[in-house]
Amino acid sequence: MFGPNSRIPATVSVVASALGLVFATNSTLDYAAHLDRRLHDLHCSFVPGAGPTDAAEACRTAMYSPYAAFFRDRYWGGIPISSFALGAFTFFAAFGLYLLIAGERAPRRAVSFFAAVGITPLVVSLVMATISATQLGSFCKTCVGIYISSFLLAVGVLLGLASAKRGSGEGYDRPLGSWLVPVAFVITLGAAALVPAAVYASSVPDHRPYLDKCGTLKKDPTAADALLAMTGARPVKAALFFEDPLCPTCKAFHQRLRAEGVLERLDTKLAMFPLDSECNWMLSSAMHPGACVVSRAVICGNERARQVLEWAYDEQEELAKAGKAGVPLLKARIEKRWGAELARCVDGNEAKQTLNKHLHFAADNAVEVSTPQVFLGKQRICDADTDMGLRYTLKELAPELVP
Amino acid sequence: MTATSRIVAPLAGALTGLALLLALSFSVRGSVKQATDRLVTPDAEKPKVAIADHAEVPYCTPRFKQVLERVLHSCGLSGGESRRGCKPADVKSFASISDEDFNELFLPLKERGGVVLFDTAKDELDDEAKKLLVDRWTDRRGARYFFVVARASKTGSPDKNRALSHRRANSIFFHLKEIAKDPEIDKKVGLLWLGNEFAQLSKEYCSWPNSRAGKKCDDESINRSAFVSWVDCRL
Repeated sequence: MFGPNSRIPATVSVVASALGLVFATNSTLDYAAHLDRRLHDLHCSFVPGAGPTDAAEACRTAMYSPYAAFFRDRYWGGIPISSFALGAFTFFAAFGLYLLIAGERAPRRAVSFFAAVGITPLVVSLVMATISATQLGSFCKTCVGIYISSFLLAVGVLLGLASAKRGSGEGYDRPLGSWLVPVAFVITLGAAALVPAAVYASSVPDHRPYLDKCGTLKKDPTAADALLAMTGARPVKAALFFEDPLCPTCKAFHQRLRAEGVLERLDTKLAMFPLDSECNWMLSSAMHPGACVVSRAVICGNERARQVLEWAYDEQEELAKAGKAGVPLLKARIEKRWGAELARCVDGNEAKQTLNKHLHFAADNAVEVSTPQVFLGKQRICDADTDMGLRYTLKELAPELVP
Repeated sequence: MTATSRIVAPLAGALTGLALLLALSFSVRGSVKQATDRLVTPDAEKPKVAIADHAEVPYCTPRFKQVLERVLHSCGLSGGESRRGCKPADVKSFASISDEDFNELFLPLKERGGVVLFDTAKDELDDEAKKLLVDRWTDRRGARYFFVVARASKTGSPDKNRALSHRRANSIFFHLKEIAKDPEIDKKVGLLWLGNEFAQLSKEYCSWPNSRAGKKCDDESINRSAFVSWVDCRL
């Protein structure tokens, strides 16, 4: 395919590393920008260098997930995995450049080393892609950009190795090189991968002063008997959630708590807070049409309330579409999954009154008209701390919750 | 292969790598630093977030709210006092309002509320009255307070009618307690009894939703009543 003198494999490696570098830089800088506890647009495109956008749900899901960073209980948000990728792709770009310039003079051990370590990003990408598919249910475009770069890099290094092997024994005098070369390179690669991450870790601001500044609950949720109980398997801490079953942020938050293993350690009271003007007088128009009906289904679930809620999250897109299409369609879906009795209950006076009590509980507590809202004991967890900083916040405010 | 050519390639790679690493590290540090600066110096103007509260609808005029607020403070609703309700003299003094103006305040509640009608000289609730109460009580929406304004017809002495309207208000309150099973009901229900001394209703109020729809209604019978309604105002 390529002769032993071909520079194409090294060129592919350099281009792939440069691409990976662009995607990893975007991802790391997006992550860093959120250290101010605010919302920002994200770079979320297959096109390297494309600007940030607010239509970046999959990238946000990935960024807020427990799989996006290491040391999340030591640093607010943790140290993004992409910062390690930054250093690694820098090394691969530099090494690829070296092989490109050196050509056939590059020692065989250097080429073999490059082939061995150059496929590691692909291995990591495969692991991350599997997590995206199985745990997150979506693929972030920037992440896919890194996967593609990793694949191209693997192609480049393996082609390089193949052409170097083809050259041996045919009169070419590619030197073998010292065995120390790979050892030195491995150390350099390790150091390069750590530098951006270390720089990031050394500059992360202290978020502790901000964690308990988002208010407290006025009324005791245990006294509000209309609220739903969602007790985990090993509860060690009382919590209160205000949730809307058709709110994507609530769904993502619920998934994060589950992934962190925190949900099972909470004795949760659940207040339904549908952002739907059909039952919620605090809104002039429905943000999530049909959320009142689905909330009543959760209430009607009684001891199965958590299952109904999780079903609503799993089927959220379909239920949201049905909600927009009209209440009968939504009720039909509820009946199909949970049976006629629960569907009848959804229309009943008792469920309507209970939901009304949940909404009044929100009004009595003067909580923000947004979901999800989370209280640990009486302490409200700031919105900013329910995603990237979740694990750090829990470790600080309720260490017993963090396994 | 010359010594120069042996050095150029690794040197180029190493220098490129170092330069890239330095540039990226500065970039990462700069980005984190910018975020830190934004964190410690928050925006002067924070975006306003709506706060959950009880309903507030257009009929909640300042005058209407003033009267209701006085009811809250003067009739034992807001402070958990042992005394509950307001008698005609109280209403006259705290409301500082004429009979007509008082009734006019409640006009916007025509469809929201209902008139529970009683037999002459009686305070018992019939089945229709109970049904009307359940209907109105369960249609709370975003309201915080439920008002009961009981009256008596002109027949009889003011003292007797005052006591009768008081009993009518209580009948409704006790029934609400029964159906609501709400430990905080005392903080929600405001009771006023006007006897036949203040703000009597005219025959026009017969057209309001009531517990004896289709039955004979006149100036006398419409005042053998209690008007009940949730009030969608923040007080």
